[in-house]
Amino acid sequence: MSKEEVRLFIGPQHPGITGNMSIELLLKGDTITWAKTHIGYLHRAFEKLMERRIFIKSFPLVCRICVPEPDTNEENFARGLEELAGIEIPERAKWIRTLVLELSRLQMLIMWYGGIAGSMGLSTPVQWGIGDRDYILDLFEELTGARIYHIYIMPGGVRKDLPDGFEEKVLRAMDMIEKKLPEYDEIIMENAVVQKRLKGLAKIPKGWVEEMGITGPVARACGFPFDVRKDSPYEAYDQLDFDVITEEGCDVWSMLLVRRREIDLSIKLIRQIIDKMPKGEFLTRLPNVLYWKIPSGETYVKSESTRGEFGYYMVTDGSDKPRRVHVKGPSFIHGITLAERLLVGQNIADVAPILVALQICPPEMER
Amino acid sequence: MELVERLKKKFEVIGFKKQRKDLFIVETTKKDLIPMLFYLKEYEGFRTLTLISYVDWIEEGKFQLSYILWNSRTKDNIIVEFRLDREKPDFETIYRMWPQAEAYEREIHEMFGVNFEGNPTQHEELILEDWDDIPPMRRDFDTLKYSMERFGERESKSGINIRKEISEQYDEWRRK
Repeated sequence: MSKEEVRLFIGPQHPGITGNMSIELLLKGDTITWAKTHIGYLHRAFEKLMERRIFIKSFPLVCRICVPEPDTNEENFARGLEELAGIEIPERAKWIRTLVLELSRLQMLIMWYGGIAGSMGLSTPVQWGIGDRDYILDLFEELTGARIYHIYIMPGGVRKDLPDGFEEKVLRAMDMIEKKLPEYDEIIMENAVVQKRLKGLAKIPKGWVEEMGITGPVARACGFPFDVRKDSPYEAYDQLDFDVITEEGCDVWSMLLVRRREIDLSIKLIRQIIDKMPKGEFLTRLPNVLYWKIPSGETYVKSESTRGEFGYYMVTDGSDKPRRVHVKGPSFIHGITLAERLLVGQNIADVAPILVALQICPPEMER
Repeated sequence: MELVERLKKKFEVIGFKKQRKDLFIVETTKKDLIPMLFYLKEYEGFRTLTLISYVDWIEEGKFQLSYILWNSRTKDNIIVEFRLDREKPDFETIYRMWPQAEAYEREIHEMFGVNFEGNPTQHEELILEDWDDIPPMRRDFDTLKYSMERFGERESKSGINIRKEISEQYDEWRRK
């Protein structure tokens, strides 16, 4: 550090940071010359706790690994256990899970869409985002009994069937959200200040994407069609008709465009799912889960979250508890390896939009 | 020729399993691991490192390190794993091949105590602060004992020692 430079911490308590983490910066004037991510404010030792609990007792833990989008965790964990135990789940359960995953993705994207505006000082869409997300949380409340931590997906299927008239309520909520989206677009996408600030901001070199393991909307904003839903389809995604969304700009504006188009895609997928939902069983019979032993094995299951590829590496040893569960959150790479390199050379005022665009979720970095 | 045949020709393959149609598991030796990763990256198209993970096989006195790679062309995952001695957990870094390995190895060093020779940042704290016990993700680390020694007994307002009761109940449940 030279005498011209100033050391500055952003976070853990700062409106521009995306959770309980901090970024240490060296500044020369307004320009960042060095950045380092510090985590550890939120370590709850989930992986250690899971090693000491029987399988079914880990479900209330896994959903807490990323707060705004818990269903990806539940689905991954359940699918991993099913694969290791050799359980087939009914067709309807797959479709209900897909519906829950898409609803959860949509509520996260809407909140994010408001959040990126908030990171630049446009505070109105933030409130709209939180408000419109509630339409979906209401649906979750009716379906699962809880708004945030659903603990609805379980090995063998889902906990309960869809309530009567639920499909119509979902469709009505989709109509309501779709009607509001043009207002968001007008205040965010057509805003000259937003365009001027985000276009060309934080360009990611294309060579980094594969080399560094960048996934999800950040990779798709660089023109790489990486989408786990399409690449290795899980649940009912192989029966849905959709295209992977990509943009070519590699900058924050392209990430915004990708996520904006994904909101439309999610709504389209939810309508398709409701349309194609089969009738039948929603849960297979499991052995008594309190004495459930899974044969020894090893697997890696993954799914597409709003932030990128979310994976579970699971090892069992034939006992009633897992030997090892390692949660791979996309934020580990995006928040440490990528952010530390990407922030160098940027203006200090752009730190918040860049971190929001990478959608860093600290709890999945430290599990 | 199948992937496993090509690998067997060049390296020592202890075990091979096709877990799913897009997931292979290969077990190799400590000596062959880094050459195999290099070969998979440069010649087989597994260009992305998804995850480095670790498992403690305390009964056998071994640690397992697992490297998960992804091929963006064929959309396949491969897990390359090997076991190393629990007593002397020394290995080499691969951060020159993949930059994200630096942070993964830093976490493993902190949580598991594996020493990655050549990693410049592995001694920096990532999650824990001023840790002075054995690495906490090892299976012989006793969380209850640690917290008792560190924080001691705490009386609640009602006078009931909740921590003691819970641990007694837990012991009883385990005995069953």
